[in-house]
Amino acid sequence: MLSRIAESLYWMTRHLERADNTARVLDINVVYMLEADEGATEEMQWRPLLTIMGADELYEGMHADGRVTVQRVIHLLTQDRNNPGSLLLSLKFARENARVVRDRISGEMWEALNELWLSADKHLKTTLQPWRAAEFYAFIHRQVAAFFGLTQSTMMRGQAYGFMAFGSLQERADMTARILDTRYHLLLPDLKLVGSPLDYYQWGALLKSLSGFEAYRRTYQGGIRPIDVVEFVVLDTDFPRSLAYCVDGMERALARIGTWPDGAVPERLAALRRHLDGATPQGILDLGLHEYLDDFLGLLADLGTALQRDYFEAHLGDDAQ
Amino acid sequence: MLRQFQSGGAGQIQMQRAGQSMAYHEFYQDDFRPRDHYLPMWEHIQTTGQQILGAKARDAHLTLHTEGVTFTVYSNDEEGIERVWPFDILPRIITAIEWAQIEAGLKQRIRALNLFLKDLYHGQRILKDGVVPPELIYRGKDFRREIMDITPPHDIYTHISGVDLIRDEDGRYLVLEDNLRTPSGVSYMIENRIVERRILPEFFARYRVRRVEHYPALLLQALRHLSPRGADDATIVVLTPGIFNSAYFEHTFLAKEMGVELAEGRDLVCKNDKVYLKTTQGLRQVDVVYRRVDDDFLDPLVFRSDSELGVAGIINAWRAGNVALANAPGAGIADDKAVYAYVPDIIRYYLGESPILPSVPTYQMTDHQDRMYVLDNMEKMVIKAVAESGGYGMLMGPSSTTAQRAEFARKIEENPRNYIAQPVIQLSRHICYLDGELESRHLDLRPFSIYGSDIEVVPGGLTRVAMTKGSLVVNSSQGGGSKDTWVLAD
Repeated sequence: MLSRIAESLYWMTRHLERADNTARVLDINVVYMLEADEGATEEMQWRPLLTIMGADELYEGMHADGRVTVQRVIHLLTQDRNNPGSLLLSLKFARENARVVRDRISGEMWEALNELWLSADKHLKTTLQPWRAAEFYAFIHRQVAAFFGLTQSTMMRGQAYGFMAFGSLQERADMTARILDTRYHLLLPDLKLVGSPLDYYQWGALLKSLSGFEAYRRTYQGGIRPIDVVEFVVLDTDFPRSLAYCVDGMERALARIGTWPDGAVPERLAALRRHLDGATPQGILDLGLHEYLDDFLGLLADLGTALQRDYFEAHLGDDAQ
Repeated sequence: MLRQFQSGGAGQIQMQRAGQSMAYHEFYQDDFRPRDHYLPMWEHIQTTGQQILGAKARDAHLTLHTEGVTFTVYSNDEEGIERVWPFDILPRIITAIEWAQIEAGLKQRIRALNLFLKDLYHGQRILKDGVVPPELIYRGKDFRREIMDITPPHDIYTHISGVDLIRDEDGRYLVLEDNLRTPSGVSYMIENRIVERRILPEFFARYRVRRVEHYPALLLQALRHLSPRGADDATIVVLTPGIFNSAYFEHTFLAKEMGVELAEGRDLVCKNDKVYLKTTQGLRQVDVVYRRVDDDFLDPLVFRSDSELGVAGIINAWRAGNVALANAPGAGIADDKAVYAYVPDIIRYYLGESPILPSVPTYQMTDHQDRMYVLDNMEKMVIKAVAESGGYGMLMGPSSTTAQRAEFARKIEENPRNYIAQPVIQLSRHICYLDGELESRHLDLRPFSIYGSDIEVVPGGLTRVAMTKGSLVVNSSQGGGSKDTWVLAD
């Protein structure tokens, strides 16, 4: 397969996965800010989203007064055309890459994605109002799910599929680690059962941002305990957004792609695997969750770089000038 | 006859006042200006226009329909009809000050009723002291001799209570009835909030509304608290009569929200006084059963032997302390409508306090004077069968026919212990958005309390609305609707 095609397949799903995560994180916040939280300011509710999306600096640059408001955060993360990580641009990049590989994906997949982009673009011609936002995010979430569902049911399981799966799982692992790190850091937990309603809603928001609230409740009967959340989100291979699940999936995807002789990818992926293997929830908390996740994100970035080198940059033979 | 009037706690209710105009209006002041706490909402409606409400109402219905939020209504000898949960989009708003009083009143009442139940099933001090007549208890259908001297964990009988409140003509909150057996409605309270948030987020922006969705988490905590084998790895199940039960939606909802197994009687089995769940990996011991099956059907060995909905042996397992049941068997005697008249005395007897929430005056049909008075004034009365719920077995005097009154008079003469009567109280009214118009309808309120390590009242509840103009019957089983209920944070 052409490097260029491989790269587009990878970025198409990676951007879609990002759009979906962005929509979900924003949606949870929009819905949750409607009711009264004792003592939670607008700033406290919305700054974490900038951190998760890595948009802190961009925001500071745009708003000299430094105030964090709902309206501004929603705008920046959803529709600001100067923010390459905004939901709108993620969809745009996903569609542009899909155009490149249109002959490699099924007709249904292309139509679903194209329609998604057109609707979102039309919808975001005007400023999205906070109380209309939830509806919009739910729409994005459904359409992305439809695209991935069609991928599951219409796409041949070959190299192309491998690159697509790799892109979406790498993005998912990245987002999961960021959401867990940012939210957890804010909740400042102690290791006993937290039971006040506020905690319930805060932790619930963390799990909902990962679409894992219901699954978590079924898995752990003990209410929401930090140590269980860490185990679930980092190590539970059955939870489809956990770090362990993503690494498992990337290993499977790499098997479909086939490895590059002397390439760095297998070794980088093995490093991620080592980081997870043998880790225990208690061990992670003892080391410091932030440090653990930071290391994970570093290894994940190395893997991305290796993938870029091994597969997407044209390999010029020995006779190259 | 006057005995109950003196035990009302906060003044008397004049019985001659009736008719539409006398009812307290939740939304309007006397001069038809909205009350202060409704102004922000009202202004919003004025600026966006009522047409928008029409679209919102359709959205709400569609959402409930798609999500399968339903309620099954049974009429005689017919199959149940599954209806989409009826929801009015205009929320009912309760101020922080009003709520503080409701909350204190409910906690007091539930504490006293649990002490009362413990006493009834152990020493019966209250009967010996003549505060409550023994025959009232012994003739009560829900007094369960089978469980005398059994002590449930932490002496709690009513882990979950849904006490119905109404407001009289002066806007005072009164207790209309206690539901202490298997009160339902909490899932609809939460669904109402989810829908309201989705379709009217702009309303929320103008208020500080307290959250209600942690109810299942509180419930789970309270249930774990009961586990005989310790809370840490307790196995908890919700026991449902099955898909034909009118509250089946709620049973699935709570099981899902708590992340526990939803079981029917046939999924459970008792061995050596322990209760087990039949699983693909063999039998798994159960510690706590949140049962939504009535006492009568709970255990064919102890109660009705023809029941196929229960678990044979579960009461013995409970007696042996190997399983906890919520709510405890026998709790129904405390929400018997004839016992209701004595609750103010019960509060005073056990707590030495005056009741915070007054009751509705109640006539005992077993009392000769009371009975004569009621039979002479049936068209002014609500007559209720004491052990029924859901608006069944009720006569609404003002809207009844001569034939219906004659039938009830006969029933009362036959079995006086089975009936009580109350003056018709004009329930408060609220505006509703019905078919493009704002119309006033009567409503009540069912807040939910959980008794775990302490009593917690979730700030909100289920507001039920009588959808028929002028009707005072709000029960969902009788076609009543509902509203989201907002308790303000300040």
